[in-house]
Amino acid sequence: MIHHLFGLRRWTDCLNALALLGISGVLWFAFAWQIVLHELPCPLCLLQRVAFAMAGIGLMLNVCFGSRPAHYGIALLSALAGMVSSARQVLLHIAPGDPGFGSPFLGLHFYTWALIAFFALGLFLGGLLLLDQMKLKEAADVPRAPGWLGKLAVYSFLAILLVTVISTLLECGFGPCPDDPTNYLWLPG
Amino acid sequence: MIMMLPFLTAVISAWFTWRGHRGTAMVWWGITAAIYVAWCFYHMTSSLNISL
Repeated sequence: MIHHLFGLRRWTDCLNALALLGISGVLWFAFAWQIVLHELPCPLCLLQRVAFAMAGIGLMLNVCFGSRPAHYGIALLSALAGMVSSARQVLLHIAPGDPGFGSPFLGLHFYTWALIAFFALGLFLGGLLLLDQMKLKEAADVPRAPGWLGKLAVYSFLAILLVTVISTLLECGFGPCPDDPTNYLWLPG
Repeated sequence: MIMMLPFLTAVISAWFTWRGHRGTAMVWWGITAAIYVAWCFYHMTSSLNISL
């Protein structure tokens, strides 16, 4: 079975690790975009990143402890929360003539991509919940070996979370972010 | 309002997950979610420029 190649016991573990890798990929891409194009995220954009991080925690719990309904619940609720903030931003810029916030990527703004991604994540988690044969005997609070794919996903996720904390701190300090940020509060120039 | 706060609590939650403290990690996720909801009220309650 292919999941054994990744050091994982079940193929749903493999999908959870890949989804976590996907979420950290989204966060890394958003951060790279922020640095390369010097486009600072607005407060709603940051809230969408928080929702991705919250969904990632649910998947990381699955990777580190095995699949549990509570972990899927955490990821699903986070995806719903992310849909709320991204849909709000889509509605903010939906009026004719509004150029939107930030540069588009492949024709869509990041908040629109975020709405699509959260919806897709919800569908993915729902499907995985249907297929994942969780066993109550695995419900113990005992961590287990996540395999090399799980470790890769977890390290990538932890690293981008730390990077995002630092970049948000540099951008906003210990206060709220401006609606249309142009400079880092804690960086000169 | 501290914008970096939910990121910090998310990092704490992820750290406890990695260190094998499942219950503590879930509590910190709950704190992150509560801050998220509070920030949503702060940022998302002004009127939209559209007719619904």
